[in-house]
Amino acid sequence: MLQGVERIRKHGFRVYDVYTPYPVHGLDEAMGIRRTRLPWVTLGAGLIGLATALAMQFYMAVFDWNLNVGGKPDNSTLAFVPVSFELTVLFAGLATAVALLFRCGLYPGALPRMLEEGTNEDTFAVVLRRRDATFDAGEARRLLLESGAREVTVKVVDW
Amino acid sequence: MRPRRALRRPIPLRAPPGERQKGSESRPSPLRPEWVDGQPTLAQITDEVARPLSGVPGAGWFACFAASGLAFLIGATCVSYQIATGIGTWGLNKSVGWAFDITNFVFWIGIGHAGTLISAILLLFRQKWRTSINRSAEAMTIFAVMCAALFPLIHMGRPWLAFWMMPFPNTRGPLWVNFRSPLVWDVFAINTYLTISLVFWYLGMIPDFAALRDRAIGKVKKLAYRLASLGWNGSHRTWHRYEMACLILAGLATPLVLSVHSIVSMDFATSVLSGWHTTIFPPYFVAGAVYSGFGMVLTLLIITRRVMNLERYITLHHLDRMAKIMLLTGSIVAFAYATEFFTAWYSGNPYERATFLNRAFGPYAWAFWTMVACNVFMPQLLWRQRVRRSVPLLFAISILVNVGMWFERFVIIVTSLHRGYLPSSWVMYKPTVIEVGTLIGSFGLFFTCFLLFIRFLPMIAMWEIRGLVGAKAAVRAEEEPAGA
Amino acid sequence: MPLLNPPRGDRIYWKSVDELQADSSPLAERQREFAEPLPWQAGAAPAAPGLSRRDLLTLMGFSLTAANLACSRAPVEKAIPFLNKPEELTPGVANWYATTCGGCSAGCPLLVKTRDGRPIKIEGNPDSPRFGGGTCAAGQATVLSLYDEDRLRGPLWIGQPTSWDAIDAWIVPRVSAALAREGGVALLSGPVLSPTTRELIAGWADLHPSFQHVVYEPRSLSAVRRAHEQAYGAAVVPHFRFDRARVIVGIEADFLGTWLSPVEFTHHYARHRVPDAPGFVSLHVQFESGLSLTGANADRRVPITPSQRGLVALALLRALRLEARLEPLVPEPPAAAVDRRQIEAIAKELWLARGESLLVSGAPEVSTQVLVAAANDLLGNVGRTLELDRPSLQSQADDAAVERLIQSMDRGDIHVLIVHGVNPVYDHPESARFVRAVEKVALSLSLSDRLDETAACLHGVCPDHHFLEAWNDAEPLASVYSLAQPTIAPLFDTRAAQESLLTWIGGPSDEKADYRTVLRDHWRRNIHPQQTRYHELDELWDRTLQAGVLDLSGASAREVASGDFEDDLPAAAQRALEHFREGQANQTARLHELHLYESVALRDGRQANNPWLQELPDPITKLTWGNCASISPALAASQDLADGDVVALVHGRTRLELPVLVQPGQQEHTISVPVGYGRTRGKVAGRLGTNAYPMAPLRDGLRGAARIGVALEKTGRREALATTQTHHSMEGRPIVREATLAEYRLNPAAGNEERGDQATLWKEHPEADHLWGLAIDLSTCTGCSACVVACQAENNVPVVGKDEVRRGREMHWIRLDRYYAGGAENPDTVFQPMMCQHCNNAPCETVCPVLATVHSSDGLNQQIYNRCVGTRYCENNCPYKVRRFNWFNYAHNARFDYDMNSALGTMVLNPDVVVRSRGVMEKCSLCVQRIQAAKLTAKQQGRPLVDGDAQTACQQACPAQAIVFGDFKDPRSRLAHLRTDARHYHVLAELGTRPNVGYLSKIRNRPGGMR
Repeated sequence: MLQGVERIRKHGFRVYDVYTPYPVHGLDEAMGIRRTRLPWVTLGAGLIGLATALAMQFYMAVFDWNLNVGGKPDNSTLAFVPVSFELTVLFAGLATAVALLFRCGLYPGALPRMLEEGTNEDTFAVVLRRRDATFDAGEARRLLLESGAREVTVKVVDW
Repeated sequence: MRPRRALRRPIPLRAPPGERQKGSESRPSPLRPEWVDGQPTLAQITDEVARPLSGVPGAGWFACFAASGLAFLIGATCVSYQIATGIGTWGLNKSVGWAFDITNFVFWIGIGHAGTLISAILLLFRQKWRTSINRSAEAMTIFAVMCAALFPLIHMGRPWLAFWMMPFPNTRGPLWVNFRSPLVWDVFAINTYLTISLVFWYLGMIPDFAALRDRAIGKVKKLAYRLASLGWNGSHRTWHRYEMACLILAGLATPLVLSVHSIVSMDFATSVLSGWHTTIFPPYFVAGAVYSGFGMVLTLLIITRRVMNLERYITLHHLDRMAKIMLLTGSIVAFAYATEFFTAWYSGNPYERATFLNRAFGPYAWAFWTMVACNVFMPQLLWRQRVRRSVPLLFAISILVNVGMWFERFVIIVTSLHRGYLPSSWVMYKPTVIEVGTLIGSFGLFFTCFLLFIRFLPMIAMWEIRGLVGAKAAVRAEEEPAGA
Repeated sequence: MPLLNPPRGDRIYWKSVDELQADSSPLAERQREFAEPLPWQAGAAPAAPGLSRRDLLTLMGFSLTAANLACSRAPVEKAIPFLNKPEELTPGVANWYATTCGGCSAGCPLLVKTRDGRPIKIEGNPDSPRFGGGTCAAGQATVLSLYDEDRLRGPLWIGQPTSWDAIDAWIVPRVSAALAREGGVALLSGPVLSPTTRELIAGWADLHPSFQHVVYEPRSLSAVRRAHEQAYGAAVVPHFRFDRARVIVGIEADFLGTWLSPVEFTHHYARHRVPDAPGFVSLHVQFESGLSLTGANADRRVPITPSQRGLVALALLRALRLEARLEPLVPEPPAAAVDRRQIEAIAKELWLARGESLLVSGAPEVSTQVLVAAANDLLGNVGRTLELDRPSLQSQADDAAVERLIQSMDRGDIHVLIVHGVNPVYDHPESARFVRAVEKVALSLSLSDRLDETAACLHGVCPDHHFLEAWNDAEPLASVYSLAQPTIAPLFDTRAAQESLLTWIGGPSDEKADYRTVLRDHWRRNIHPQQTRYHELDELWDRTLQAGVLDLSGASAREVASGDFEDDLPAAAQRALEHFREGQANQTARLHELHLYESVALRDGRQANNPWLQELPDPITKLTWGNCASISPALAASQDLADGDVVALVHGRTRLELPVLVQPGQQEHTISVPVGYGRTRGKVAGRLGTNAYPMAPLRDGLRGAARIGVALEKTGRREALATTQTHHSMEGRPIVREATLAEYRLNPAAGNEERGDQATLWKEHPEADHLWGLAIDLSTCTGCSACVVACQAENNVPVVGKDEVRRGREMHWIRLDRYYAGGAENPDTVFQPMMCQHCNNAPCETVCPVLATVHSSDGLNQQIYNRCVGTRYCENNCPYKVRRFNWFNYAHNARFDYDMNSALGTMVLNPDVVVRSRGVMEKCSLCVQRIQAAKLTAKQQGRPLVDGDAQTACQQACPAQAIVFGDFKDPRSRLAHLRTDARHYHVLAELGTRPNVGYLSKIRNRPGGMR
């Protein structure tokens, strides 16, 4: 599969997307997809969470109503660490998940754009662009068969 | 359009039969074991994993479900009675303010941690063997945390006011919570842990939901799976981001799981009581948590692989690996015990010394020695591979591990409380039927949830198994002459 | 404002409306509502002339009834506004009445706090020089007995409710008929403290030869009176002056706990227990069988069998006579009986303190008492440390007379029997015989306020008032008077006992029987003339009512002709030796001597139906809700008995079954059992413990308290004891610090070298201009437990019952920790009142998730009940374990059917303190409500708060003044002074909790010769 995609690209095809039943490692390089920016979302959200947590605790424990609790200083920063950490993780985690779903257009009830039955089970599909100058269905079929596919069906979809 | 038959045809990446046998022989098991016995076709994986989901489960399942359901009802009854009447229905007293309740709390939280360890930490370490057990381990985490979270709620004198633990703007003026109290830390830690675990779990199931959706017959199922799968189609652009997201969540869950049990341990470590006030608690508790957690994972998997006949995916190798981890963490726990006693003696603090002498030789010595037997001596059996690979032995051990870990928490909590600083208020604690019933009930809740899970959700991450099989086959394909 | 805090010397009084209008001080403003000066307020100046007492009383009676109706109709939690506000009542403002305690025969003067017409708290009367401001546990609890569900609602005839007219119509003719005949009418009563009543009775006796009055007491001092009769010709119980005694030797007399007048004795005794006491530090030696409160406080305690008492007195007397270079007169006691060296050492100390020493004995044998009296006489103590010229009138029982009465009843000579204030069917050793005798009486009447064991056997019950509802006077010590006035209109259809008697037997005058008039008349004729200070009777009366006490006992210490013992001594010695031989025989027969004693809480059992007292842990055994047989560790070992094993104590046909308690300090051959339990009647008291009275012997017409030749049989059963303390050693921890006087003289900080107070790294929080705290002197604290009950009454502490105590869930805010040190056969005992320490760095505050317990700027560790969610984390993290959790709803819960479960019982609740709901934590608040009240008062009077304005309940109740509450910020306060004392320390200071409650180390007086 991997080889297949690589060969196709070597011959100047533009691989629009590949549908696989499981993540094939190295395929993204083969397809030449840019590395995702999700980690940045995580970092940002985490920082926001941290800031929120610290702000909340300082406001509540020091500014809004400071009480003498066991003679401890109002600003017991050390005691605020655990909550800050937890909120950081919470924000980061949720943001990452939401960002993922949003970016991939996944939401409850969304209709899947299935290219072929079974791409979630045992069928692989390569999407090429017809409008490309270099497009040649037969060529692609040959390349795929060479790279070891037992059976290749060509299907024209119109998105 | 291909005939359906074509779809069912073996996929190209399969090696011819003869070679398969040779292959399986040529790969010596212990070092680089087969994490899936034989080479099922990708379609077979879906078939076998999804089998329990369609059709009526076997008698075994129903038997277990009835038992756990009964246990759950017992617990529900006890809790309702206790909330209606008062905490006095428990055996607590003027000195022992916590006993069964917080013991169970810490116990269940600990159970949960193994799940996260398997699903997150082992993912980061790219441990292939986790793939077939991580889904159920993760599920176990969630159910365990649910059970755990129950106890801080019902142990309150006025549970209906539990929401006061949350810092929310209220009508009582600027009255907030006490961020210096470990109990508040607990509230945040547990909620975060539960949320992140749920997200991680669900995310992991989306591709499998998609697969199920595609092969689902019947309106309801189709709709349900369609909603659940969020319109997943195996587009690799999605896969790419998806894997990154999983890695990130794993990366977040790892420190999270450590923090959660550290914070739980601070409930004790930050107090002034001798036997509680000690700095080694966080690592000690985390190790203990993983230890007991793996015990519970073993118990569950040994049952399910039999009941749901999934021996092919949950192999002896898996059990062996988990046994090794139990051996490691068990030894860490043992070391922690030793350290505690050493510091108690070395500190020269008379109160500390008294507390630990009382633990080992006082009225609760029986509990202490049960704990030592289960957590210090028993794991040492696991040095032998014969033990690690004998299912019945492992099953027994895995249960004893949890007995031992439950007693560990009981010993820590009760022996430090019942004989404090002023001998005038030394008392004994005796649990009541209600407390025991509540403990049983928590197990009922846990197993009921788990049984429903294996009945209605894919308990093995199909897409990951496919990845495993696929990758393995790919490797083999390399060795084959191209275009053969 | 005098209404909020107990009257003190510096109170401002006003006498008339004119003066009131002239005065514009806030106080006057506050009190404008008072139309007439009331007796308890007509103070510093003579009351308005011509003020009619009757008007005043109608007024008061009306208002109190109104108040009472309002209260008894509604749960106390709801404040019911008065329809017409009674003149002297302000809702939410307390009134204080001076009266006299009826809890026991000591007759301590009291101040009663009433809120909206309900008595809610008992305090000692600080104006009484003799008794001090203290009270005892039993006295504190009397206010709850007022609201006892078991009290009769009206007269009964053969168990059926009836009306006063009906019952009088039946009784009067029969009584007058009986009076005509010989020996017809008998009044069986307890000691009569009231001089007026005594005069009435005497009058009747003179008027009708057929009228006889017999005084009965479950534990009498007849022996003491007989002994003094022999020696001095006066059958009296001397008045003991512990404040003058340098050396005190007690032989089986629990004078700090239960004997005679504990509050007064403790008050005097404690003065000379502190190492820097004025004049001297007393030395106290106690000989006794079981460990009593007094023995626990003694510097040296010697366990003896009851049969040894006589010999101890004998040996002491002999040694003293030798010291005095006199011919001994008494034989040498057998060497086995007493440790001669010890006795000689004690005798030496006594002799050195001639005239300033005191021997007391509660032993009910004349012989012992004669020997003791002789020793006191020899030491020249008479007139100094024991006063015969102004004796105690508390104990008047004549056991022989009681015996005669029972016989004549049996013969059928008695036609009318009136039982007043005693319960012989319960507490007479041969109650069956008494019951049989009673059945032969034509008309038997009880004046009991409840249907107790005796009342249930009699024909009619004509309930007396509770003493808080009644007019009365008292003369506990000759010519030391106090008045008792109603603090509330009678709750039920009851009638003063004296009025009943007047109605039946007839008063001095023919006018309708009104005890108050008789009282006043008596004071006019007998007491007014005795004094010269007040011309007007009204003035005397008002002042006495206001002050509560009138001491006409002039200057003390008049020399009394020394008694004549010569011919009595040999006989007494003989009896003592006989006793001892009996004991020896008993031991060789492997039998035991049973020693009956009164427990600090229940005394003789008259208040057994009082849940506060039932739940009060005994200071020594720490047992609640029942009695037990205390056996020595040696006996326990030999018989293989452990706490809770039920044994049977058998003597002849009497058999007591009760659980044993292994009691350090118990004499090896003795078994101690408290009386007062095992009542067959009473909602609370019924079926709790075992009645030990049947074991009390009657020998030569005297009621004993010890039984020789008791066999101990195992039953094999076990019964979990409801004790509040299960571990008795301090495990070598510096919790209670002590030193001997000698060590203290060398180094005041002896035993307290390591204070352990730690510096803090944190910035101190801003403090208000007060910083409240307590200092408790362990040298004077006797462990009498008055503070525990006082705290319970003040702070609405719930009663939880036997089962909950067994589970270790008692709710008392003060725990009286009792530790033993030294060998189990005769250990040293220390007491330590332990309440919330109000730490400045409180571990409990840090861990509370919802900020339900925080620190106030004036040093209080506050518990906010309505914020508490009940995680109990604070309880776990409290190193002193003083926090108490509401495991259930204790109020209005049928499961806890005590005072808080009835509309009547809840009337005792203090409206200033909230009743806690289930699921919340509670603990000592340093009586914050009192602090606030004191602040308010000071503000209204436009003056700064001075030391002593605010007193905690425990401090006020303490008869030994061991507890000092105050303000650290006030440099002149006693507290600030005590904090600098070398003996001052904080418990567990090494934990860095920095408490505001401190303790002063215990100093024992242990001369070398005594060791």
